[in-house]
Amino acid sequence: MLLAYRCALASPLVTATAIEANEFPRLAEELEVWSVPRIVVGGVPRWDGSVPEPVFVARVLASS
Amino acid sequence: MDEDGAHQPRSYSEPVAILRPDEETKVRELLDGLERPVELLVALGPEETPLPGARDLDFGAEAVKIATGLAELSERVSCRVEQEPEGFPRFPAISIRPEGRDAGVRYDGLPWGYELGSLIGGVLDAGRAEPALRPESLEALAALDRELALDVFVTPT
Repeated sequence: MLLAYRCALASPLVTATAIEANEFPRLAEELEVWSVPRIVVGGVPRWDGSVPEPVFVARVLASS
Repeated sequence: MDEDGAHQPRSYSEPVAILRPDEETKVRELLDGLERPVELLVALGPEETPLPGARDLDFGAEAVKIATGLAELSERVSCRVEQEPEGFPRFPAISIRPEGRDAGVRYDGLPWGYELGSLIGGVLDAGRAEPALRPESLEALAALDRELALDVFVTPT
């Protein structure tokens, strides 16, 4: 989660929201959240799991 | 409890212990290192019904307790509560705001359990004068030419 927050704090173009999956089950189901963390970029699920910073940033930018 | 033994509603401004004493000491030390003030804006409003089996909690009230509890630990952290402010699609939510500015950093839901660490980590990062990312990451992000929304689904356990 912190890498997403750090990206938002570093760029005025990026927003980062943690969403507690149990509290918002309809949205979690819609985005097929079966495991966490599930990273969704621009409303599209991209990957599950924690990754190192360079991988995170590269994947985010590749998804944009 | 009052004199009759009945529970009274807890005021939003009443400090609440959200951490064990040893954890609280550590978090106080970390928050002492904030280089700029951070505001926590707690947005309250209609809440989605959680999954069956979820704990029977008033999620909004608990979110307020957590945010006010954190603000009690440092003069550099403040907390404000609003009802259904604009720009919040889900409630409760906590916006983490460096110097009171909306930087697009938010936690939707109740940051309890393991996720309390995400909220505290977000506050610590928002309180940094310089971004916490590596220079090469900052350089890559600088090439971004469109708005980008990152949503990270989490659970407290």
